[in-house]
Amino acid sequence: MNIIDALIVLAALLAVTIGVGVFLRWQQRRPRRFDPTEVVDPRRLGATALGEAATLLQFSTETCSRCPGVHRTLTAIADDAEGVLHLDVDLTHRPDIAKHFHVLQTPTTLILDRHGVVQTRFGGAPGREVVELELARVTAEQVHA
Amino acid sequence: MPEPRGIDPRGPRFAAGVTALLLAVTVVLGLTGLSSSQDAAFGWFAYQPLATVAGSWAVTAVPLPVRLADPGFLLLTAITLLFLWSVLSPRTAPWGVLYRKVVQPRLAPPAELEDPRAPRFAQGVGLFVTGIGVVLHLLGVPLAVPIAAGMAFIAAFLNAAFGLCLGCQLYLLLQRAGLVGRAA
Repeated sequence: MNIIDALIVLAALLAVTIGVGVFLRWQQRRPRRFDPTEVVDPRRLGATALGEAATLLQFSTETCSRCPGVHRTLTAIADDAEGVLHLDVDLTHRPDIAKHFHVLQTPTTLILDRHGVVQTRFGGAPGREVVELELARVTAEQVHA
Repeated sequence: MPEPRGIDPRGPRFAAGVTALLLAVTVVLGLTGLSSSQDAAFGWFAYQPLATVAGSWAVTAVPLPVRLADPGFLLLTAITLLFLWSVLSPRTAPWGVLYRKVVQPRLAPPAELEDPRAPRFAQGVGLFVTGIGVVLHLLGVPLAVPIAAGMAFIAAFLNAAFGLCLGCQLYLLLQRAGLVGRAA
């Protein structure tokens, strides 16, 4: 292969890589809504209770560099909102929990309503505004219901 | 295990940028060099007994010393050793030291620190991928150098440009496969 062809291959590799990066970034900031099917038992996760209005359930691992940042963001959100609890569960040595919730990447954050039903899922590091918007939606729906 | 001291998260991203650049050069060297050549009389090694097998991969036909002397292979080996260094001793790895001595003093202090175990895991993945490329090339497998370098380039570039974290994406997959993180 001559140098021109090699540089074309490199340019194609770069283009594909940038495409993957843009897609991952878009996907990781998008909330996914769930059919309310599962009720989370806090004792399974090593917690005594869930939040009165809602719970931000975060899954982390030791090898996850973005988890501490998300932890700080979610703690700040929980502190500012009445009745909202933030739980951070370390999955590093808990494959059973990871498997149960189908967590394949960290951080993954679930928003639970006051009954412990999973309402929203974030795979990745969501922005504070997006989480607050979803939290407002989850708590508001319960008032109407 | 005690919590390790936090590190500036921009350090590993700087290192990933340097590594991505080196891997891009390796891809080009691999594609233009011995690894991709189908010419049995590759380059200046006009290796006479092989003239009859023109059309087959040169890397399979040439003897080990010729495989060793390929520039793409040598650069990939150097990158592999740097990954090994970063896994064994992250504090003293060259790009990290360069970042702390030259780049960090010119930047504002980091907003938050990160757990050093995450970038170390990513360096281990890089070591695994490039290490396979090095071994396969030595065994005479064609295209091992550009493919291994290309895969590592994707991860390193995504880390540097988009902040992709391999420890976030891969750890639980490896755990599900039963390779890491079993309960003690």
